[in-house]
Amino acid sequence: MTPDRHGSAVITFPNDLEVVITRQFDAPMALVFDVLTQPEHVRRWGATPPDEMTECTIDLRVGGTYRSSFVTGDGTVFSFHGTYLEVEPPTRTVQTWHFNCWPDVEAVETMQLHEADTVTTFTWSMAFADQAGRDHMTRFDGQQDSLDTIEDMLRSLLDPTSA
Amino acid sequence: MMARAATTSDVFNAVADAHRRQILDLLIAGEKTVGAIVEDVSMSQPQVSKHLRVLSEVGLVTCRAEGRHRLYRLAPEQLRPLHAWVTTYEQAINDRLDRIDDYLQQLQGQGDDSDT
Repeated sequence: MTPDRHGSAVITFPNDLEVVITRQFDAPMALVFDVLTQPEHVRRWGATPPDEMTECTIDLRVGGTYRSSFVTGDGTVFSFHGTYLEVEPPTRTVQTWHFNCWPDVEAVETMQLHEADTVTTFTWSMAFADQAGRDHMTRFDGQQDSLDTIEDMLRSLLDPTSA
Repeated sequence: MMARAATTSDVFNAVADAHRRQILDLLIAGEKTVGAIVEDVSMSQPQVSKHLRVLSEVGLVTCRAEGRHRLYRLAPEQLRPLHAWVTTYEQAINDRLDRIDDYLQQLQGQGDDSDT
């Protein structure tokens, strides 16, 4: 019986440009890597109900691109895309990150896995090109109704291909 | 669509400014005069006063007079909306990672993922 790790993600803001999230899984690193990077797996966990994932393509090689799209209950579509900068199965990928709702924001995501004693630690970091980018996640920027803004901030973190 | 809250009434905007966060950090230690704050930060007195005004307007600092001095203190309870937001944010991240966890357990427990 493995421990219940639900709710155990650790979220840190190490500096003005980064958000770093760590979480452990009781699974081999190679399986975790596949679940995070293979579209047939990502489609199984990618959308936050009642949203639906309408597109999930991942060309997992340096220079390859990924794209994922979602539709919400009220028909709103949002999507993420980027290009892989580093691909080192089964431990690491680095990719650019673009979110259709924040066209001016540039970020680089790093996904790093480490296995020890049958536990895989997943470290997911988002490094924004400038502080204004990260501040989208950490403040209301006044561009939208505040509830919409919260939704956007959350969605940015719910990008499945980034995980 | 709701009207956007004015900057001065929005705790999130108030703390979006690094200088204002610096002032809040200083006030964690206790009440301070404007002069004492100016000594501890690399800002002029007019700048500090301007930031204190914004922080006062959203209720993050309160001010009282003592003799000829005005003393500012932190009112941390006004940070509750921020705390609520962080909690929501944390919950959403956890929900996503928990879904990955459940899916991994399912893959390993069943030896296949044939359910729908």
